[in-house]
Amino acid sequence: MRNVGIIGVGYTPVFVSKRRDVNIAEMISEAVDAAFRNTGLGPEDIDAMVFGNMQTFEGLNLPHLWASEHIRALGKPIMRIATGGTTGMSALHAGYYHVASGLHDVVMVITYEKQSEGDSQVGLAGIITPEIMTMLSLGIDLTGGTGMGGLGGGSAGGVSFQANSYLNRSGATIEHIDKMAALERRNAALNPYAHLKDPDATPEKIAQTPLIAYPIRFGHVCPTTDGATVAILACEKKAAKLADKVAWINGLANCASDATTGNLIEGLITDPGEQRPCMIAAKKAYEMAGIEDPQKEIDMAEIYNGFAHQCLMFMDRLFLCGEREAHVLLDKGELEITGRIPVNPSGGVVSTNAIGTSALNRVTECALQIMDKIEGGHKVQKDVHNAVAHGWGGLMQYVTVTVLGDKPRKR
Amino acid sequence: MEELRETYITPVVPLDFTYNYRVGQYMERFLNSLKDKKLMGVKCPECGKVFVPPRMFCGSCNQKLDEWVEVAQTGMLANFTVGHVVLEKGARLAKAESPYVLGLIKLDDVDSLLLARVEKVAPADLKKGMRMKAVWKEELAGDYSDLDHFEPA
Ligand SMILES: [Zn+2]
Repeated sequence: MRNVGIIGVGYTPVFVSKRRDVNIAEMISEAVDAAFRNTGLGPEDIDAMVFGNMQTFEGLNLPHLWASEHIRALGKPIMRIATGGTTGMSALHAGYYHVASGLHDVVMVITYEKQSEGDSQVGLAGIITPEIMTMLSLGIDLTGGTGMGGLGGGSAGGVSFQANSYLNRSGATIEHIDKMAALERRNAALNPYAHLKDPDATPEKIAQTPLIAYPIRFGHVCPTTDGATVAILACEKKAAKLADKVAWINGLANCASDATTGNLIEGLITDPGEQRPCMIAAKKAYEMAGIEDPQKEIDMAEIYNGFAHQCLMFMDRLFLCGEREAHVLLDKGELEITGRIPVNPSGGVVSTNAIGTSALNRVTECALQIMDKIEGGHKVQKDVHNAVAHGWGGLMQYVTVTVLGDKPRKR
Repeated sequence: MEELRETYITPVVPLDFTYNYRVGQYMERFLNSLKDKKLMGVKCPECGKVFVPPRMFCGSCNQKLDEWVEVAQTGMLANFTVGHVVLEKGARLAKAESPYVLGLIKLDDVDSLLLARVEKVAPADLKKGMRMKAVWKEELAGDYSDLDHFEPA
């Protein structure tokens, strides 16, 4: 298998709630243009494309074909990937397979979401209703007060059980979730590509937002965002020729458990906070990347957190700290941009969620930190040699992990 | 980026889909047994775990499950949330009339959790591990709603 590196990234000029000034394909073209601008490459350098966005959100089933000219894909191999919240990272992984296999040398990964043009609640219902078929067949009522009531607020209701379970096992409190959300909104204020920015966010301010389903408040929840992200991947030989700096994809993995709130492979079958797929995927990805002690060797993380508690919850699932430690590190200030293990310097998904891009942005943000190409004030203060990016989605039970480094993997 | 204007041409596309999913053989048997005030589960021949509601496979063992067992109607509160909003038709959020409790119930001798409404306990008094019992509707229809709620035992 060949080594694969990220040689360039392109974002739409902004990530905001409504990009009414352009249509979907036009918006996507902006990120493609940015990637070409940032790398000095052009369409002639790209061998194949992988396209990703969330299924159902804009009700489009073939957006990659609508946008085929806008992404300069005519005459080239292209496929679309949709795995839910993890879509962006799954698309990146597919791009990796293209290059690592030796089939293609330079691949462009394109992701977008234009949530303002769909109906996000219907979109979520569109995911969760047919997919919940699995849940329905496992005893969750779609029509009455119990099942979907519990999922009130799209996935917010469902993750409330997860958050509660996390608080129980970790010893963290709802105030820690407030604190994490405030930290990320402040980080977002430094990132020109973030959506919900609040330089003055405090835990107290977050705590004033109303509860949706205990312990999840509105202030813990991601926005719906319009935006697009592009990453260009290359093999070692092409990377040396085309790029001054490269962030190497040294480890990657994904893992699923079953589709119910109770996850079959997860210990007591039912704890949505256990997230064993994350541990399984993280172990594999670190092993592939040659990372023996993530707590020592990983310099920063971008963790997928549609809801603020998830950043803390997944920290220990990614072996970045002990099981009851994430909120302690938060209290010590170690998760801040200036801290020992900065987490979500970008502001995270809780601040910006153009869903198709969200899991890819976790990777591109790590890549830009490694390449020292962060625009804006959220560059972490220490040198970043290795970073971990995480994606979460599916029906609460699917996880992707990517380990990036400033040097290519030794084989 | 083009300068933002007040109006853009954005035609509304009014789609209203209706789907008809079958719940499947396992859930049908479960729902039908609710009419007799019975909670039915299936047992894995390999690990011995009992699943309620029933499912076709034990994912850990990759075993097809076909041993049906009736299970206890008592158990403990394993997890809970307090809902402050409800979903209306069209998946819109609305404020709930009053906060309501949803629990994941671990029935005695069962290894999975059952999602159910929890009543007769104030949100502030909720505790993981509380003993719970099933309460049935008076008129039974072989429907999810037959099992009305759980309350402290
Ligand atoms: Zn089994």
